[in-house]
Amino acid sequence: MKYFLTLASGREVELEVLEQGSGSARLRVDGRSVSAEFLDVDRLGQYAVGIDGRSYAASIEQRTDTDLIVTLAGESFAVRAVDERERAAGELAASRPKAETIMASMPGIVVGIQVDIGQTLAPGDAVLVLEAMKMQNEICSEHGGVVQEILIAEGESVAGNQVLVKLAPIEEG
Amino acid sequence: MASLKKVLIANRGEIALRILRTCREMGIETVAVYSEADREALHVRFANEAYLLGGPAPADSYLRIDKIIEIAKACGADGVHPGFGFLAENAELVAACEAENIAFIGPPVRAMEVMGDKLASRQAMIAAGVPVVPGTTDPAQDVAAALAAAEQIGYPVMLKASAGGGGKGIRLVQAPEDMETAFTMASGEAQNAFGDGRMYVEKMVTEPRHIEVQVVGDQHGNLYAIGTRECSIQRRHQKVIEEAPAVNLADGVTERIQEAAVAAARAVEYFSAGTVEFLYSRGEFYFLEMNTRLQVEHPVTEEVFGVDLVELMIRAAGGEELPDLSQLEPRGHAIEVRINAEDPANNFMPSLGRISGLRMPFGPGARVDGAIYHGMEITPYSDAMIAKLIASGADREQARRRMMRMLQELHIGGVTTSAGLAMQILQTEEFVEVRADTNFVERYLEENRTPQREFADDLEEVAAIVATLHRLHQGVAPMRRESGGGDGLTPWVSVGRGRVLSGRANPWAAVGRGRAPLDRTNR
Repeated sequence: MKYFLTLASGREVELEVLEQGSGSARLRVDGRSVSAEFLDVDRLGQYAVGIDGRSYAASIEQRTDTDLIVTLAGESFAVRAVDERERAAGELAASRPKAETIMASMPGIVVGIQVDIGQTLAPGDAVLVLEAMKMQNEICSEHGGVVQEILIAEGESVAGNQVLVKLAPIEEG
Repeated sequence: MASLKKVLIANRGEIALRILRTCREMGIETVAVYSEADREALHVRFANEAYLLGGPAPADSYLRIDKIIEIAKACGADGVHPGFGFLAENAELVAACEAENIAFIGPPVRAMEVMGDKLASRQAMIAAGVPVVPGTTDPAQDVAAALAAAEQIGYPVMLKASAGGGGKGIRLVQAPEDMETAFTMASGEAQNAFGDGRMYVEKMVTEPRHIEVQVVGDQHGNLYAIGTRECSIQRRHQKVIEEAPAVNLADGVTERIQEAAVAAARAVEYFSAGTVEFLYSRGEFYFLEMNTRLQVEHPVTEEVFGVDLVELMIRAAGGEELPDLSQLEPRGHAIEVRINAEDPANNFMPSLGRISGLRMPFGPGARVDGAIYHGMEITPYSDAMIAKLIASGADREQARRRMMRMLQELHIGGVTTSAGLAMQILQTEEFVEVRADTNFVERYLEENRTPQREFADDLEEVAAIVATLHRLHQGVAPMRRESGGGDGLTPWVSVGRGRVLSGRANPWAAVGRGRAPLDRTNR
């Protein structure tokens, strides 16, 4: 199985699993053969890792099945790891426009709404400001779209995961 | 023996434990108070007595002066320590303590009131001959007034909440057209946080470094400066890395700035521990504010000077005369890193969840101040700061390398933290050469720089390999999802948690196309 890794820095790594044993594996990393040891320390994300004799205390925070935060040598690396099949499926999905719902990242108070119904947003555009943990956090659209529904008002308290704003996909042409 | 016998700690988290630890060492009984979300917290478990204040929101618990006083009276506490945040700079609590003949472990009311008001403190400092930044002497009530003031002073200017502190209600305004948005947001934040939306306009000092002085005094007129600290490594006006003593200052500044700090404190008849903060730029320093409380970064001073500031506060509050601290000399260097439960790869969004797996750094020169434990929940009601690492060394370079080693040993599972960013900053030229100003961290993040790693291995490639091995391993033995939704988490955390685990928490959202953090205008 081949894996395609993308790091937050933009770097991409291609990796093929050649052999897989219990706690060990042989891999081809960007064309180079690598032997790896991988021992699960606590079943909570801590691993004892060996790569060609170099030793690491690594840990994983799992965001989704494919989006991981790897902590290693004091630093954290956001890594998206997809296998061949997921990559093919992802390419197909990406070719279709997507509707998006903007949700509250945590319980808080909506202190500002920065969009109007019918407004077209680019990916990353600000939608609203949510105050939580004593800080104001700007909530942005990930994919962009046309503002279809605004389900909350300024000053309103919202629960975590509550849907705040709905975006429709931008029509092509 | 200490003159106080039983101290109520009106706070939670790391700072409550910090105070509790010293009380325990001094043989003083401790009383914890807590909100419904904190019954299991360490400050509750470690105290000799613990009483419920109310619901999880601060307004229903840690801000309830009436309840705190009622509890203190009922349990016979003879002192109240407010920690930092919450009621630490609230004169009403001091007055309430006085009325009940309970020692408030902090400064006198008048000092707190004068220093808590930007304009009053500024006037007091001018009168005391302490240098201040050019700016307005009266608060701007609205946008028009702020625009007029800025016109006189000259852009860029800083907008600051008249009643502010802790980085809230502060904005940089580069040009007149940015004033309305900046004023509205900062004033709104100030109104929410302090109930006072008035703003003060002052000149922006170019490439400032944040240098501060620890002071401590007693009720017998003794007042001492206990060295300098540098806290220029900040993000959104929140300190990230602090150190003591401040180095790379022009000749004579270390002495003059400490004299100015003592003059500032004396002007308000200060006693207890406090910090006088200054902006330092090109050999000059200007009074910024005085924090009339213990500060987050106090441990670096403790490490370098061999004092316990909490102990000195307790003794001063009990009316004791402090030992002579005028001859203290700094020994070596100390660096503190704040560990926040937040995600630097996703716009520093708060990271909620249950701490699962915890490995703390040990070894020479390593101090950890914290209140976290395996199984602890980080809720929306928590403070983002969950622990502090403090590294001490014979010199700055040893302390720096020791801190890097400590960060390598640290593991906090279940939530994402700011530790990795601190690790990168410690390795930048600017940090190593002590020339980072207070805007450095924002610039560093904006530039999306390749980290200057002193670690020879290709860590990105290792991370890619580990991610792949993890995915393979998940197929065989999935992680115990202690922090997944609905598995025994209290309602405080489960509401906030699901969304963090969902796809919206996307590291690439922040990195590639880069949404500016909300306060980016602060540059």
